[in-house]
Amino acid sequence: MNASTRLEVRDLTKSFYGVPAIDSVDFDLVGGEIHGLLGENGAGKSTLCSVLSGLYRPDSGSVTLNGEPVQFRSPQDAARRGIGMVYQHFRLVDSFTVAQNMVLGLSKDQRPGSFRQIGARVHDLAEEYGLHVDPSASIWQLSVGEQQRVEILKQLFRGAEILILDEPTAVLAPQEADHLFDAVSTMVEKGHAVVLVSHKMAETIDYTDRITVLSRGRVAGRAVTAETSASEIAAMMFEEAGAAKRAPVASGTAVGEPALVLSDVRVRGDNGLVAVDDASLTVHRGQVVGVAGVAGNGQRELQEAIAGLRPLDRGKVRVCGRDCTSLNPKGRSRAGLAYVPEDRLGTGLAPGLTLEHNMVLKSHDRAPHSRWGLLSRSAISETTAKLENAFDVRGNRSGMQVSLMSGGNLQKAILARELTAEHEVLLAAAPTRGLDIAAAEAVRTHIVNERDAGRAVLLFSEDLDEVIHMSDVVLVMYEGRIVGSFGRDEVDIEEIGLLMTGSATSSETIAAPEVEPVAAR
Amino acid sequence: MTSGATARPHNRMSRGISGRIKVTPRGFGGPFVRFGIPVAALFVALLLGALILLAAGDNPVDAYRTMFDASLSGPTAWARTLALATPLILTGLAAAVAFQMRVYNIGAEGQLYIGAIAASGVGLALPEATPMVLMLGAMLIVGAMAGALWAGLAAVPKALFDADEIITTLMLNFVALSLMNYLIFGSQTFWRDPQRVVPGGKRLPESAIMPAISGRMHIGILVAVASAVIIWWLLARTSWGFTVRTIGDSKPAARYAGMSVKKQILIVLALSGALAGIAGVSEVSGVTKGLEPRSLATDIGFTGIIVAVVARSNALGVVPVSVFLAAIATSGSRLQSIGIQVEVVLLLQGLIFLTVTAGEYFVTNKVSLAPRMHAAVPADDPVPTSREPSTASIEAQASEPDALVPEQVAT
Repeated sequence: MNASTRLEVRDLTKSFYGVPAIDSVDFDLVGGEIHGLLGENGAGKSTLCSVLSGLYRPDSGSVTLNGEPVQFRSPQDAARRGIGMVYQHFRLVDSFTVAQNMVLGLSKDQRPGSFRQIGARVHDLAEEYGLHVDPSASIWQLSVGEQQRVEILKQLFRGAEILILDEPTAVLAPQEADHLFDAVSTMVEKGHAVVLVSHKMAETIDYTDRITVLSRGRVAGRAVTAETSASEIAAMMFEEAGAAKRAPVASGTAVGEPALVLSDVRVRGDNGLVAVDDASLTVHRGQVVGVAGVAGNGQRELQEAIAGLRPLDRGKVRVCGRDCTSLNPKGRSRAGLAYVPEDRLGTGLAPGLTLEHNMVLKSHDRAPHSRWGLLSRSAISETTAKLENAFDVRGNRSGMQVSLMSGGNLQKAILARELTAEHEVLLAAAPTRGLDIAAAEAVRTHIVNERDAGRAVLLFSEDLDEVIHMSDVVLVMYEGRIVGSFGRDEVDIEEIGLLMTGSATSSETIAAPEVEPVAAR
Repeated sequence: MTSGATARPHNRMSRGISGRIKVTPRGFGGPFVRFGIPVAALFVALLLGALILLAAGDNPVDAYRTMFDASLSGPTAWARTLALATPLILTGLAAAVAFQMRVYNIGAEGQLYIGAIAASGVGLALPEATPMVLMLGAMLIVGAMAGALWAGLAAVPKALFDADEIITTLMLNFVALSLMNYLIFGSQTFWRDPQRVVPGGKRLPESAIMPAISGRMHIGILVAVASAVIIWWLLARTSWGFTVRTIGDSKPAARYAGMSVKKQILIVLALSGALAGIAGVSEVSGVTKGLEPRSLATDIGFTGIIVAVVARSNALGVVPVSVFLAAIATSGSRLQSIGIQVEVVLLLQGLIFLTVTAGEYFVTNKVSLAPRMHAAVPADDPVPTSREPSTASIEAQASEPDALVPEQVAT
């Protein structure tokens, strides 16, 4: 590793609405290195990258590029100075060719000649770095892996010396990922510096030279990769989750019979690839089972499969002993499943319609809300008023579209609707995400009450702290599989952290639904 | 409290030109907003129109009085306007009911032709002595069914393969037009009157003609207004309408609630086609009194789309909007008769329509000058987004799982 420091970040702070997303962060990047940037969801990785690539301006702190203090005015400004970012969601125009995308947004004098010349240059770059792609192909014709190559070529084409790759392997198949890292290795050999944002332990260990770990907006640790280990890194990433002073909620007394049973479930994602595989789990009455995992490891697909919104490739879903595999969402809801979806506005609620409408979304076609197909507006208003009172939903005005209410009240409204419907199982996805402390506490109380009333709760959350705090059994999901299971007394943050980042397999993976996960009493 | 909504694309807050004009969705406005703004917009249109008329050397006062006299003053004028409004209400409803579910039926024009062909076929085929109630009833039912089936040609591929209904319904218009032309101009069919030198349709028997109420206005207007009330009632007061409105607002929410989106696409497109078909029945029976392609193909179906957009897809709103459009159209020909050039007339019509339509934007959005805080940004700083994330940056974050901070605090 040579010692030429390319980028020096000192004391960088950036807040949104007064909440710091990154707080006094120091970060160094030297030429010829791959620098891993790790952290949980919401740790501040994207914010830091967005500041470095000119998308946000920091509130305070300094950025020094090649020894010269800089303040980027825009992503174009950062690009001109040699910093290029490759986002997880590509910034390409589908109907344009590769060559056209290369010069998209460049002014005329920055454009090097005709598209043929551009194509030739792309071809040369592709050869040089091993990023093969046809310059005359349109983006929509290319696979995701090829599109990513185009994104990287675009940055190289524009003279990027420093490349920031935001979770580049999240969208790739394993062999594509190997190919990508070959190209990245070539880049650093030629003196480029690469920031690799990642959740995956294996690739971090294998490919980076140094790592910086962020946790809740602060630097939680730095290390030279060769001198550290996966468990040390996991400890840095998840340290705070364990250090939280909140005592776990008192565990329910009686764990009853199984209420939600998944056996051997396989589900495909929107892109047709297997998103969840071999997923088996059992939630008993009087028990909260929490699923921890980094976002995008199949949690959403699994939730939708349980709720009946996504067909199963294989496997079975049983609610209260009844096989629900072939039932639609309505059938499953009648079988006793209540579902608080991740996407509050848009799925859980119809955003442009009134609170009244949304409160009877699932029961509008039944008495008392309608008779012989005619809506009873008085009954609907009555139900709404009752739910508003019982769950402390505030901020509704008559005729107002529900999307104008605050996130906390929206979530309370969904809980009100779901928890007052007859149900035995609650499936709650990211129920406290984005809520203020009071609203989040109220939501957690409702979940605990559910358990204490003898119902079964399956909780998905990206907040590891919350999962550990709430759950009687913690499951860990990684790349579509359930890779670990911990009873309340066996929770080991470091072990869970390693499983979440895919660097270890649990000693006691759940094999079958019959094997009851050790429930704490 | 609106901050919770700003991070949602659904209810986006956009920054206007140079960040000085602030546009926020109103959500809902009081009666002053809902009725005051359209009236104010009409006055603005008349004022602008006066300038054009003056520039063209015409007297605006005379012109406006003529327009008013021709379309809205006295029973004759009203009859003329309402006769023109009748098919517009029906095609407007056809578009509105589909738009309610965000399905875009651009094919009311063709569905109207098919309805007219079917209804005139029934009128010519049944014995002349058939009582009028039975005759007109049969024509309405068959015309509506024909329109529904024609729309079904687009609805089935939409429901099964998600084929873009904008394309399919639009293309079917040309098929329907060619079919109608063929029946009269291209062949010797049952519909064509062999006696006439210039090709035309056989005249319908008296029992198949909708009786006139006054002047050109016939009982089709009653059918149209009744349809508007029924559609409004179905959408607002029934459990089926609840489903349609839910799907129109959010398909994921509808699926989540266990509603079948595909089934409703079929039902709603069929209903939309039936309404356009009824417009065809009303025209062929009440106006042309025989299958007359030249008189039927007057873009009534396309104008219905405009009606639905201006009425914000509200079934009851379709009625006044249709009458308003019809009034502008009827007054146009009279303006020419007092010597105002046709170009000026068209300009005037377009101006009034455009201004009133544009006024709708202010009904649904609140537009205000941004508060002083932007003035604090240094003059050499053209992008005041560093302190306050703009829509663009919020969206950029929303797409990245790592940056949920703005959402977290926006409760």
